[in-house]
Amino acid sequence: MNQFSRPPIVPPPSEPTPPMAAPPPLPAKLDFTGERNGFLELVARGAGLELVTLGFYRFWLINDIRRHLWSNTVIDGDAAEYTGRARELVIGFLIALAILMPIYLGYFLISVEAEHLQAWASIPLVASFYVFGQFAIYRARRYRLTRTVWRGVRFWMDGSGWAYALRASLWAVLAIVTLGIALPWRAAALERYKMDHSWYGDLQGRFEGRGWELFKRVWWIGVLMPFALIVFPALPFLYARYKSEEWRWWISGIRFGEVTLQSRLAPTALRGLYWSVIGWYMVLSAGFGMIAGSVGSILVKLGVPVEELFLPGAVGKAAIIVLGLTIVGYLAFMLALGVVTRLYLTRDLWERVLQTTSVTNLAAAANVTARGDLATAVGEGIADGLDVAGF
Amino acid sequence: MSDAGSDPVVFFDGTSNRRHAATLAFTGALEISVDGETRAKWAYADIRRADSAPGTLRVFCQSAPPLARLEIRDAALAAELTSRAVNLDEHHLGARGVAKIVGWSLAAAASIVLVVLFGVPLAADRLAPLVPPAFERRIGDVTEQQVKVVFGDKACKSSPAGKAAFDKLVTKLRDAAGFDTSVESTVLSSDIPNALALPGGKVIVFDSLIAKANNPDEVAGVIAHELGHLKHRDNMRGLIYNGGTSFLIGLLFGDITGSSAMIFASRTLITSSYSREAETAADTFSIELMQKLGRPPKAMGELMMRITGKEGGKGLTIISTHPLTEDRLARMSKEDQTVKGPPVLTDAEWQALKGICGKGKV
Repeated sequence: MNQFSRPPIVPPPSEPTPPMAAPPPLPAKLDFTGERNGFLELVARGAGLELVTLGFYRFWLINDIRRHLWSNTVIDGDAAEYTGRARELVIGFLIALAILMPIYLGYFLISVEAEHLQAWASIPLVASFYVFGQFAIYRARRYRLTRTVWRGVRFWMDGSGWAYALRASLWAVLAIVTLGIALPWRAAALERYKMDHSWYGDLQGRFEGRGWELFKRVWWIGVLMPFALIVFPALPFLYARYKSEEWRWWISGIRFGEVTLQSRLAPTALRGLYWSVIGWYMVLSAGFGMIAGSVGSILVKLGVPVEELFLPGAVGKAAIIVLGLTIVGYLAFMLALGVVTRLYLTRDLWERVLQTTSVTNLAAAANVTARGDLATAVGEGIADGLDVAGF
Repeated sequence: MSDAGSDPVVFFDGTSNRRHAATLAFTGALEISVDGETRAKWAYADIRRADSAPGTLRVFCQSAPPLARLEIRDAALAAELTSRAVNLDEHHLGARGVAKIVGWSLAAAASIVLVVLFGVPLAADRLAPLVPPAFERRIGDVTEQQVKVVFGDKACKSSPAGKAAFDKLVTKLRDAAGFDTSVESTVLSSDIPNALALPGGKVIVFDSLIAKANNPDEVAGVIAHELGHLKHRDNMRGLIYNGGTSFLIGLLFGDITGSSAMIFASRTLITSSYSREAETAADTFSIELMQKLGRPPKAMGELMMRITGKEGGKGLTIISTHPLTEDRLARMSKEDQTVKGPPVLTDAEWQALKGICGKGKV
């Protein structure tokens, strides 16, 4: 769940004032009230602005997506709130640049020294970037969690990003050694660390999911994977199945104090979403291919031999124009794909997961005292720089 | 009674998550009362909108605890407050804010493009001579180890006469080019007809290049070309240039999904044009050196032609790192001259050089 970890939508609620004849604690309702068209508009407009700003608008877009998702997540009648600001992400990104630049330079110098001793000795250094990425994942989660507010009290995290990175890396080694068999236990151990250090006000979180339970549900997917790589249309089925099992297991393991979460997400719940994205991917690539092809044939009709376009010299300018158009077209294609992915795999997935989640014993969190400090967005910046960012 | 939606006004004081059903009074400030007791007074000018689900107006006050929230589910009350709180949406990014982001992004992109096109080549040219020779040599050693892993560590030493002939050739060129004795060179056994200049002053010639050569002048021209790379410190310049452009282009395209393909494409385009310039400069160096020795500069071009064939119309010229072979040959032929100097090697030495790897090739 690393990449996808998001602040739990978990919170605890309170009982309204009048303590009438109390029925046994009914599970509280979780709901998602966001308009699908509203979200589509948000991400489409954001993609357009990303195109114009060559990607710099991403900080504002990510922030707006989170605000939309959080504020439409209604727990026991009260919506959550995301208080992060795009400005913080920009600053985090700049700080991360300042941190990553000397690291890249140091990496270069160390690898020269290592290669001096033994050719290709610098390859293990790549592993250090993995550790760093895990650190960033933890810190980014902490940032998002401290911006998550429900009923005037924020979530927050303690614990250490480096301790987490060390655990994640050692577990990754174990997973490699066991050919992936250890992956469910890795997920459970890491989630335990994250949730043990997550708080809602003065209410501490914990994680009760067991590696074994996840293993029982997904081992056959791991066995089928190698075959699915040959019969590749089977891949989305398996992946969607895995993701739904993982979500269900993850949500059902989350606790805050006495508050318990339970997920009823069906094993097939996410299948349609993944296939929709694949369908759109095909439609979009066909469209992009047709446009590129027709540009090429127009050039040929105009008597410009396509090959000569790329020769240096007089026609060179035409080549640059064609190339520029291709780059813009490609960017537009990627951004359109981003819109589709966000619509299905962020918003719709979020909605399906929420609507199958129930919270019991919310009364145990009726009077939580605010605690915890805000974390900086540096982790987000590093995660962005290393390309390990979740949502 | 857990239907939270039933209270028209709910107040959270920001210190606990307890839900307070509240009443509002619109006096000089917004008065929030819980159970008949005034809990907070918010100045209208400080009230701001917070995100919430549809149907709820959620506000906070800039001069109150940061997480204190007032939630109004009654449309009339919400309208009343909206009309009084004049700065309600002031903190949100408006059209002007977006225009500012777009404007500054374009300015940043323009400055990155300018730096890539003009700044980085300049920096590479100026910085490369400043790199300490010891460090450059270290990088050269590293590259050499990798070359040996890729092509096999088969330095040709078996034929002393061949080695002597090679050394004579290299020394002649080196002295004519004004290098000191720190420039080393070796012949490696490989099926790829090529030659390399490594950072820190080392020239590696693969023996199949020698095998394809018809006379010593052809090999001499190639070595002179590689010496040109050393003279211009092209390795260090390339390293600085590639590192700089990769970094800046990565910065430019940032995090758009799939941007790595873009980064790769634009980097290939830009750096290969830089590399073509460096190759042309090394050719110039080779031509001049051969002229100085009174030998034909065209020889190298003929050897290249024999190896690559005519290149025009094959592949994308715009991304290739070298100029077209036929163009290089044409340029060298133009600079060709009648042979004035003594041969660089005697016939016996030339035969020994051909057999330097002991394979007895033709």
